[in-house]
Amino acid sequence: MQKNYKNIIQESLSKKKADYKEIRIEETVSTRINYNGKTRENVSINSHFGGSARSMSNGGWGFTSFNEIEQAPTKMNESIELANFSKNPSFKIHQNSPKKITLPAEVKKDPRSIKLSEKISLLDHYKDILLKDKKIQGCEVVYGDTERKVVFADSEGNEIEQSFIHVILRIAANSSDGNDLLQSGFSIGSLGDYSIVENLDEKVLESVKKSIDLIKAPKITGQETTVVLDQILAGVFVHEAFGHLSEADNVYENKRLQDILKLGKKFGNSDLNITDGAKIPNLRGSFEFDDEGTPSSITPLIRDGVLVGRLHSKETASKMSEKTTGNARAISYAYPPIVRMTNTIIENGSNTKEEIINDTKDGLYVKNWYGGMTEHEMFTFSSAETYKIENGEIKETLRPVKLSGNLFTTLKNINGIANDLEINQGGGCGKGGQSPLPVSNGSPHIRINNCLVSSG
Amino acid sequence: MEKIENLLKDQFEQHEIYEEENEYKSVSFESNKLKEISIKQSKGFAVRAIKDSGLTFSSSSNYDLEKFNSNFLELSEYPTKTNIKFPKKNIQKNNVKIYSEDEFLLENNFFIDKLDRNIKEILKRFPEALCDAEFDLGKGNSFIKNSNGLSLQSKESGISFFISAQTINGNDMLNIYSYASSVKNIDDIFIDKLTKKLIENLSIAQNIKESPKKGCPVIFTPHGLYQTILSPLLVSFNGTNLSKNLSKLCNKENEKIFDKKITIKDNPLIDFSPSSRNFDGEGVSSQINTLIEKGKFISGLFDLKTANEYKCETTGSAVRSIHSNTFPSTSNLIMDGGDSHIDKMIAQIDEGILVDHLLGAGQGNELSGDFSANISLGYKIEKGKLVGRVKNTMISGNSFKALSNVDNISIENENVYGSLQLPFLQTSNVEISS
Repeated sequence: MQKNYKNIIQESLSKKKADYKEIRIEETVSTRINYNGKTRENVSINSHFGGSARSMSNGGWGFTSFNEIEQAPTKMNESIELANFSKNPSFKIHQNSPKKITLPAEVKKDPRSIKLSEKISLLDHYKDILLKDKKIQGCEVVYGDTERKVVFADSEGNEIEQSFIHVILRIAANSSDGNDLLQSGFSIGSLGDYSIVENLDEKVLESVKKSIDLIKAPKITGQETTVVLDQILAGVFVHEAFGHLSEADNVYENKRLQDILKLGKKFGNSDLNITDGAKIPNLRGSFEFDDEGTPSSITPLIRDGVLVGRLHSKETASKMSEKTTGNARAISYAYPPIVRMTNTIIENGSNTKEEIINDTKDGLYVKNWYGGMTEHEMFTFSSAETYKIENGEIKETLRPVKLSGNLFTTLKNINGIANDLEINQGGGCGKGGQSPLPVSNGSPHIRINNCLVSSG
Repeated sequence: MEKIENLLKDQFEQHEIYEEENEYKSVSFESNKLKEISIKQSKGFAVRAIKDSGLTFSSSSNYDLEKFNSNFLELSEYPTKTNIKFPKKNIQKNNVKIYSEDEFLLENNFFIDKLDRNIKEILKRFPEALCDAEFDLGKGNSFIKNSNGLSLQSKESGISFFISAQTINGNDMLNIYSYASSVKNIDDIFIDKLTKKLIENLSIAQNIKESPKKGCPVIFTPHGLYQTILSPLLVSFNGTNLSKNLSKLCNKENEKIFDKKITIKDNPLIDFSPSSRNFDGEGVSSQINTLIEKGKFISGLFDLKTANEYKCETTGSAVRSIHSNTFPSTSNLIMDGGDSHIDKMIAQIDEGILVDHLLGAGQGNELSGDFSANISLGYKIEKGKLVGRVKNTMISGNSFKALSNVDNISIENENVYGSLQLPFLQTSNVEISS
């Protein structure tokens, strides 16, 4: 980053008047290594640099982004001119006591210290394991590490410099039943720790075995049934089924939704506790300050089945007169921050996984994930592994299923929460065209009654 | 860029430099009020170079060229195997209209007033609705230059309009949206039509009806057809999957796989259509590609690398940005209409469903053509009429199977997302569950 950037930032903030002004300058360097089948399809290092200026006037926002830092003062003025088109009622933006701080990246085993040749040799090895069995028709290996340095300053006096290092790995084996291609794999990630991608031979072999097992697995027909979710899929469930509706930008201008999502309202049984927080350390959704310079926190969302909190940006917290939570995040300098989840978890219950399975007469054990999506109160998410449960025992493998539900009924239908919380860091979240944002999701095993499922 | 070119000339047999500069403007309303106006500028470059049948790729928006060069040399030790030859200097035969300057000259208030007027139309009928609406404008300049003598420049622009309305009754939340995009300004008549249609759909959807029985007739709107069936199907037409033998269509060219009523073309040569282009991301002249002709699989879509691996010619379908290597993709997808009017198709159904929007499409095993999703907007058909909306209902099936035996295709077609021209389609080969 250029040495004089601090002066340029200060010059930008001292220009024209607005109710609120902020500037972000960002530099990223990413390494990507991809395999599709036996071919190494891509090894690249991509570096990007840019900045953005955002301002608020008359209750509306102006936003500009640019690649040349010298443009920052002009672009800040332009953003103020754009904000001035608004004729909305003004509001006072939430203020925290300003901080001037530089926070280096949290690093355990730094991926930047590992030679490119070493990374490639490890991934070559995994690819070879995947393709060794002749029943495996193809494979996918996707590795990425990203170093992101962000400088933030605003008209409240904040000057915050933060650095992050993310590591991700996706491995999948493809088999075929002669007609359909069947995939089994896993996604993992970490904040600043390359060691998570090492020593995975057993896990890779397990993907091979599971992919082959799918060849003979039957599909199920669409039905309503009891499902037991493993920690990974239950993490996706809490993100999709509840997390998105707890983002206050859905609610802050919507009086009717505010009535539906009123704090104090019961949404689940008394053993259901859900929390989100970037302050939980060393996870992919962890940080000290969000992209509006607000300190991060740990926010209880559901306590004993009752809605007790929601996630905020400065604007939503101000307009709803609630506490800021530090959940305004932008995927890069080219986007304005919006309300996002960070690390979202269902907390441990009192059952064991075995008790929950043993107590399930007829249903499905669903594990691992392909994806998930939310639209208001409706959500879907998909398993990567599915097994039949009969008389309290896990039986044969079935094809993966899509699960679908409705916030208001499905959370109440959770009737078993185990005590084996695990957190998955292999996913990313998409919202408002900003994807994939690093997040983590966690949960113990949970059981849901009357869940709508179908193969596919 | 001279510094990079000098390095490439010395070290590689072939090279290509791609550079782009873009500007985007967005005027957006949230919950019936102007929320934000943004102007984004971006520029950057990407380099591909080949030696000893190995391709190296890197991109940057950081013009620290010395650092770029040292990274590029390190990467070149781990190239991707390929035998492609970058295109030679060619005479561009296409002259498709893909640029219009006029929209960027319009005042912000022009867009603000238009959005405000359309939102007010919705509020007249549904005073408690919360509407989001947006105009997005983009224009860009891109340059491709390679060591085989090719040097091309392209100026492109686009504009899109989006409007959505949300109503809440009890715990039921309904959100319906309309979208249009073009290279030149979208006229008021078309926008008014979209808003009117949205109001009509919102009115019908206020009624929640019981889901129809399993095995009922299913009609897909053009949007529903794309989201449910065509989107997973197109994965199998993509050269990346064909070249890796992952597609179910591998080596099945000219075989009859679909119903003979199905003809689909990819046409990048339509004036003012948002996905049109004169040449692709590698500088290859664009052409109309037939994907399915009367039920027969004709061709997939390829860029230079995937075509080389599948041992065929590129179809000029490479897309790229400064953030990614090239890959094949569709441009404007056109599906031929059939011989039934949509009104008659609906009128003939005693109990059925018209599927318009899905939630969770594209999360399953797309390579197999399987789909399974929650119907986020589907209209119940009773005695030949749309009588309301279904809820908590899933649809599942397989794209290949769904298109192998089609009951009806409408004469009428509609534009979806600006670059898809699709009819309504009725098929019985899907499963509804609730």
